[in-house]
Amino acid sequence: MRAMLMALALGATMTTGCTMVDKVTLPSVPGGKEVFVTAGDVTEPHEVLGLIQVSRSGPLLFGNIDVVGTDLETGFKKVLLPEVERLGGDGVVRVRYRMTQYTPFARIAGAIFFIFPLPSTVTITGTVVKMKQGLAAPAPAPAVEATPAAAAEPAPTPSAAPTEVKATRATR
Amino acid sequence: MRPRQPRCCSAVALAAVGLLSSGCNAVSSGSALSSVPAPKSNTVFLTTGDAPRPFKTLGFVQIRGYGVQVAGFADVGDADLDKTIKGALANEAAKMGGQAVIHIEFLDENPSTDAERVQAAMQQVQNLAQRKPEVEKKDRYVTVVGEVVQFTE
Repeated sequence: MRAMLMALALGATMTTGCTMVDKVTLPSVPGGKEVFVTAGDVTEPHEVLGLIQVSRSGPLLFGNIDVVGTDLETGFKKVLLPEVERLGGDGVVRVRYRMTQYTPFARIAGAIFFIFPLPSTVTITGTVVKMKQGLAAPAPAPAVEATPAAAAEPAPTPSAAPTEVKATRATR
Repeated sequence: MRPRQPRCCSAVALAAVGLLSSGCNAVSSGSALSSVPAPKSNTVFLTTGDAPRPFKTLGFVQIRGYGVQVAGFADVGDADLDKTIKGALANEAAKMGGQAVIHIEFLDENPSTDAERVQAAMQQVQNLAQRKPEVEKKDRYVTVVGEVVQFTE
């Protein structure tokens, strides 16, 4: 009986290989109106405004409910992009990103042992750049410091979410 | 009269030889990605480098493949570089309307060394010999990220 159960467990394990997918849709091209993001480089002349790292951590309640938003969608759109705008950048190059991805088994375990929420984090790093005159967005170039508009409308991040933003400034 | 060596000693010696003769390097490899120039086909262009032509970014994808290594040698599931890159990643890119995935980065999170594989296999043999209903298995994870793009020319 025990051997049968073990065989059953093994069979279940062998047939339940799985893949976790997370994505963010972020249409952008250097020189466009919106802040662009690329994992590569830009060949057009640009000024380096600094390095940036943003991360957001939070619990996955019941193994599935992402209360503060720790996925790529939130990390890019609600944390990174507002911060780049605040710094006055036109885009981010050499972006690297990583988020916590749990297997369905872990999520089920998280739902069963719901008093122990699963920790989840998304971290994005990159270099904030500003395109040189003529290649930047047609809108008036924002100042290096936060514009009044940006200051009036801070990043739409919940105050409870432990979002970390680290940025250094450098000019090349 | 010379005392007989216990059978377990020979098994241990065999295991020791196996471990000593195997390397301590863990190697994970995948097949070749796309070549440059990209062939004219409907397949998604995959590269760890830059795009061969001007492009616009559509988005970013992160894939985590999970699998199980049984008895040190049988790999089942999706923890495989080819399955995650050429399978899941390319499929997601196609769903997003992408023609290519560039700047692909990959990480086999916990590859086994040859020594670990031999050890797991030996342990499995021992379990079978002792009729223990236990299976030596190890969870495996492969993470892949990439930038989904569409060529503009």
